[in-house]
Amino acid sequence: MAAPCSRMASRPLWQFITNVRRTGLKHTGVRQFSLSYACRAATQTSSKTESVASPWKLYGAVCLQRLPVISQERNPIEDQFAELMHQMELERSLLSEHEQRLLEDAERMTRKQADNYDSDEEEADYGGQETITAQDQDDTWEQNLKHFQPALRDRDVGGTPLGSVERCLGDSLVLLVQQTVAKENIWLLPQAPWEAGETLRQTAERVLSSLPEADFKATFLGNTPCGVYRYKFPKDVRTESCVGAKVFFFKALLSAGSASQKEPFLWVKKTDLQGYLKPSYLEKVDRFILNL
Amino acid sequence: MNPVILNLQLALHSRTLDRAALLLRASVSVKHPIQGSLAFSNERQYRTMPTHGIGKYKHLLPKEAPKKKKERQQMKQIKTATDAEYGTLNVKVSGYDMIIVEHYSQYIHNLCNRLGVKVAESYALPTKSTEVMVMPEQGTKMYVDAILKTHERIVQFSQLNVTLCPIFMEVMLKNQPEGVQLSVKPHTEADYQARFKARPELEGLMAQIT
Repeated sequence: MAAPCSRMASRPLWQFITNVRRTGLKHTGVRQFSLSYACRAATQTSSKTESVASPWKLYGAVCLQRLPVISQERNPIEDQFAELMHQMELERSLLSEHEQRLLEDAERMTRKQADNYDSDEEEADYGGQETITAQDQDDTWEQNLKHFQPALRDRDVGGTPLGSVERCLGDSLVLLVQQTVAKENIWLLPQAPWEAGETLRQTAERVLSSLPEADFKATFLGNTPCGVYRYKFPKDVRTESCVGAKVFFFKALLSAGSASQKEPFLWVKKTDLQGYLKPSYLEKVDRFILNL
Repeated sequence: MNPVILNLQLALHSRTLDRAALLLRASVSVKHPIQGSLAFSNERQYRTMPTHGIGKYKHLLPKEAPKKKKERQQMKQIKTATDAEYGTLNVKVSGYDMIIVEHYSQYIHNLCNRLGVKVAESYALPTKSTEVMVMPEQGTKMYVDAILKTHERIVQFSQLNVTLCPIFMEVMLKNQPEGVQLSVKPHTEADYQARFKARPELEGLMAQIT
């Protein structure tokens, strides 16, 4: 259940090459990252210029989650148990004031209708009739309840599209976008390449703000990444200075936001991720997404 | 004559006993402070017996501090945040339904226990009642429709590890039930003082003095 926070620093291959950097990226990503792990308050903009370049390209990605809005549906067993407990509590409980009043009123009515009704005695005991009896109150409350329409629990009845934030209100959803990576259109967590002079978290924030046609307000959980995915480029693309790429994931929770209903977005549950993500990618991402 | 002699004899006896007691009192107080009351009784004569003081055990027990009056409640030290840990944090759970609020606060407490976060205190704030008044269309007078009670529970923990914090927050937020508001704030002295009732007569007297 715990996200592997301690597994983030995978040791990169530090290749010390003296030729001019082709990509222009200062690969102090790992160094920055480990510093921010140790001391959270300082934002790491003090990147030391190093003439060494790591052969790994760095990306920052954001795992934006929408928290569940309502509680989950109960299992059949849970349902039965809840009913049983409710029944037991009802049987063990005592009558409330309102219920006692109802009973007393009913009793008084029967006594009134009886033949040997002594109104003086009754009134002396009780001291005058009340204008509103308990039964009347009960009726007014029932009427009010009938007017009240609770919202539908399951808005998927009409078949909300996968891109809508409002689907599956009982579960937490993760945002997926379709991006072109290596000339392939694949679904993945939104990511962007890291630029020199910013922290990886800032990269992740930039990703969020640069998503097309959407504006999501999110709060980031912590300054440290929660997961990392590294992969090597296929042999033909591989060069001396870029062997592969590393993607660092940051967790964020959606606080407000909207998106147009265009296709690029998908809000999926953890269990549905398998249908969209590549297997090796999924393996790493699965580790830090909590399915609660 | 006889009573006079008896009196004299008694006086003599008492005087000798007194002197003996005076002599012995020093040693008594040194060795057997508890037996001070026995100084004037007959048990003195068994001091030479090997079974003398056979039932005594109080001297074997550890010394307990003298019982003092209950001290005034002092505030626990508020821990400050360091680089690796957060200071004393208050998680406030509030809502209208008491059962759900209490269950959720219990869940948080248990979660802290499990994850190794030290829980300093766990208390409830007084319930606040809100009256919902409804004004009917025809009349001008408002009448009370319902009374809503807001319950609040606070779980206070210290030394939350900074690496654990995001996971902890996420778990808490994902398990938050409907109708319950959660807020996490650092603990301040003002929060502590707010729990106590105001004492108007004391304040009046203080105002009179100054």
